[in-house]
Formats: sequence, C-alpha cells, structure tokens
Amino acid sequence: MTLPSNASGPLVWLVTIAVTTLLLVASAHALWLVVPFLLAIILYYLLYPVVRRLVLAGVSRQAAAALVAAGVTLVVVAVMIPLLPWLAAQAVTGEVTLNRYLEGGRVLIDRTLAALEHQFGFLRRMNFHAEMGKMATEFGDTTLQKKVGEALFAAAAWLPSLLLAPFFAFFLLRDGGLFAKLLASEVPNAFFERTIYMFDRVDATARNYFQGLLKLTVVDTVCLTAGLWLVGVPNAPILAAIAAVLQWIPVVGSVIGCVLVVLVAATEFPTNPWMVYATIGVFAFARLLDNFFFIPLTVGRSIRMHPMPTVLMVFIGGAVAGVPGLVLALPLAGVVSAVVGTVAGIVRDPRLRARHAYARSLQQQRIAADVRI
Amino acid sequence: MFGFLQRRPEHPRMAQFRQIGLFATLRPKELRVIDGLLYERRYLEGEIVFDEGEEGQALYVVLSGKALICKRIDGSLLPIAQILTGSLFGELALLWGLPRSAQVRAGEDCVLAALSRADFETLIETHAAIATKIALQLARDLGQKLNARALALEAHPL
Repeated sequence: MTLPSNASGPLVWLVTIAVTTLLLVASAHALWLVVPFLLAIILYYLLYPVVRRLVLAGVSRQAAAALVAAGVTLVVVAVMIPLLPWLAAQAVTGEVTLNRYLEGGRVLIDRTLAALEHQFGFLRRMNFHAEMGKMATEFGDTTLQKKVGEALFAAAAWLPSLLLAPFFAFFLLRDGGLFAKLLASEVPNAFFERTIYMFDRVDATARNYFQGLLKLTVVDTVCLTAGLWLVGVPNAPILAAIAAVLQWIPVVGSVIGCVLVVLVAATEFPTNPWMVYATIGVFAFARLLDNFFFIPLTVGRSIRMHPMPTVLMVFIGGAVAGVPGLVLALPLAGVVSAVVGTVAGIVRDPRLRARHAYARSLQQQRIAADVRI
Repeated sequence: MFGFLQRRPEHPRMAQFRQIGLFATLRPKELRVIDGLLYERRYLEGEIVFDEGEEGQALYVVLSGKALICKRIDGSLLPIAQILTGSLFGELALLWGLPRSAQVRAGEDCVLAALSRADFETLIETHAAIATKIALQLARDLGQKLNARALALEAHPL
C-alpha cells in the first residue's frame, strides 16, 4: 500500500517543536479550558468503543452517544451517592491525615540520615544528619505544606470547569465525524486527499496514545496492586490506582506515585524500614515491566517521533505549562507532527501547488468572464 | 398533534444516492450512514481531480457532470474515457492502495462524492453489511470494466 510521502527531517522537527511549544504556552494561559478538554478527549477515547459497539448493533451514532452519556451519568451517580459521606469525612480529617503522612515521611528521612551517618564517618564529621534534617524539617513545615495547600485550592477552584469535560466528550462522541467534514470542506480540491490522510493520522495518533494510556493504567494498577498486596501495604488497590493514574504525567509521575505510597508505608509501619525498601522495589520492578513490556505494547510508537524531540517536548511542556503541559506534550506533539508533516509535504510538492493555482485561475476566469463586454 | 408519527420526507440527496450503482443495494437507513461518510467536492471544467502516479486516498462517485480519464500518449495528454453521472472511479486506491493509474479531470463542471479509504476500512469494522454490499458492487463494476476492455481488445486486437 502506498501512502502520501509526508515530509520529515530537521526542519519539520524544528517547526513541530516550535508549534507545539507555542500551543503549550497558549494552553498555559487557558488551563481552565485545556484541562477539561484533555479529560474530555480521554473520556471520548474511553467511551468510543462502546459507542462503536452500539452503532454496530444498528443504533444511530446520535442515539448511541446519548445512550452512553446517560449510562455513564447513571453509573457516576450510583457510585457517588454511597461515596459522598466518606468523601465528606475525608475532607474534615484531610489536614490531620496529610500531616500524619508528612510526619511519617519526616521520620523516615530522619532515620535514613541517622543510619547513613552511622555507616559513613565522613558524613558524621560533616554533621550530615543534623544539617539535612533541619533542611528537611524546614521544607516539610513551610514549602511542602504551602505547595500542597495551594494545589488543593487550585483543584477546588477548577472543579466547576471540570464539569465541562463530560459535556465536551458527549459532543465529540456525537459529532466527531462532522467536525472533520466541516474542516475538509474548507480545503482546496488540490490538497483534499492529503488532508483526509492527515485527519486519519491525527485521529490514529490521538486514539492510539489515549487508548494505550488507559490500557497502561489498568495493567499498572493490576501489577502494583499485586506487588503492594504481597508486600503488605494497606489499601493496595486504591494506592495502586492513584499511582497508575499519576503515571499519565511522563517522567515525574511515577516518582510522585512511588513517594506517595512510600509515605503511606513509612507511616503505617514506622518501625519496619524493610517495608519502605520493599515498596520502592515493587515500584522499580513495575517501572521495568512498563519500560520493556507494557509501554511498547500499549502507548508504544503511537507518537511516531524520534525519542530526542519527544523527551525535549516533555521537558518544554513541564516548563511552560506545568503538570497539564507534561500530560499534554506528547499527544500534542504527535498531532502537530502529523499536521506539520502534511503541510510541509504540500509546500514541497510543486505539482500540487500548480494544480491549486490552475484551479484558482479557472475560478477567476469564470468570475471575470462577463465583466468585460 | 401526531405529526411526529408521520414519515419524514426523504432528503433529495438520498434519492440521488439511490441512482448510483455503488449504493443501489443499500437500504435508506444504510444510505444515511454512507451520507455521513461522504465528502462532497465541486470541480470546475478542466480542473484536475488527481494525477497519474499519485498516492490515492479515496474513491469518487460522480453525482453530477462528467469526468475525463486522461493518459499521456506520445507525449501529449489525451482523454481516453469519460465517467458519467452515477459512475465511479479511483476504486483501485480504495481496494489496494495502488498509485493512480491515470489522470482524472473534470470534463465539465461536476460534483463528486469522495469516500476515503480510512472511512471505508472503519465501515468494514462497524457496518460490515454495508461494506459488503459496497464491496460487491465494486466487484461488479470492476468486472464490467474488465469485460468492456476484453470486448474492445477483441474488436481491435493488438
């Protein structure tokens, strides 16, 4: 099968990085819209297979989208009703719980530093334990608590805008195909076939990435649950699910997830340091499984970009748009790469441009045919 | 009061689709599915639809007007066949993803409906019955074209 020869090379990479960075900078100023839209896309790719099943069974696309939306709403309500009292209780005791786990972490650091100082003489001479302990206490008492507080306030302020996510997802499920047709209707005839191929690539990139991410989350949750349960960490499924969702943030997500679970292990088992080491071991093993088996089988090569610009994009995303930038950088770079590749292919194809110029001249002749008598 | 129970009048496009051989065996409900997938394109007389050797991404059906199949013979581009309203072209790209075997341009102002390969592949997964009916019509169309070519060869052997 032959496919349109989309342009690639250093210039296309540079333009892709520049355009993605600009979009990430723009998205950093409209996070209230970008975050629900990102969640809507994840919801869309999560629910799309169900809509497709219904369409396959003979239901119209509109009716299928409405049925799925109604079903999801019912499930959410059914889950939230028994969960609300528990969530309210957690909100009341939230600060106490947070301080308890932070204290558990502080004790863990304190013990580790003391053990290191005991082991190595040069650290004792540097008064390592006291100095580092002071820094850790200051960090925990001021910076960390302030940052956590700010993050919780920001999350609370975003909650109303997050309600836009299901709304967006519903319209994507119902009218996704119409958007493509509307966009294609604006494209000149000479570039039409390249454009529809680009639509297919953009859809495939986003679908493979987000569906792969969801599959990876399920696999990671199962593996981490098994590992943490074997080690003996309490509430293993909940902690594993949180850590797996945090892996949506490239590079740092898995570290944050590991730190959270280590804090829980250190607090619940303050006298057993092996619990902490075993927890770290579970995360390290899960990470290895991810890198060698699960990621190639799920998210894999959906982005179709060289690893170097891919890693660069992750760091740029984090620098210009924080956590949403980290999550958004890879799929956005994949989509931008498909669009830039197609546009570059058209720009570098003199035959397509000549055809477009000829079509315009035909149109111009038709318009001006009876202007002169 | 019970107006909602009345059957809705058929969209003129559906009647037009029914006249097209490729969609002749589809039911009204199936035609609506196809309508959602087709891209309507308008071409002026002389405008190129695609070039020979180009990577093809879609099959075209002539909804109105006429298209010309052109080949380069002895250095000059000449029309070798015309495609009239209701006929289709570009099916090799849809079935095998082969490069276009000839140039096609509008013989007169025409409206074409394009079905992309990606949409046809999705159709095979989501609406197997519709895809099968279209594939069968495509096979018949290809058979007719082959038959016509064989008759032409018989009349004018090489």
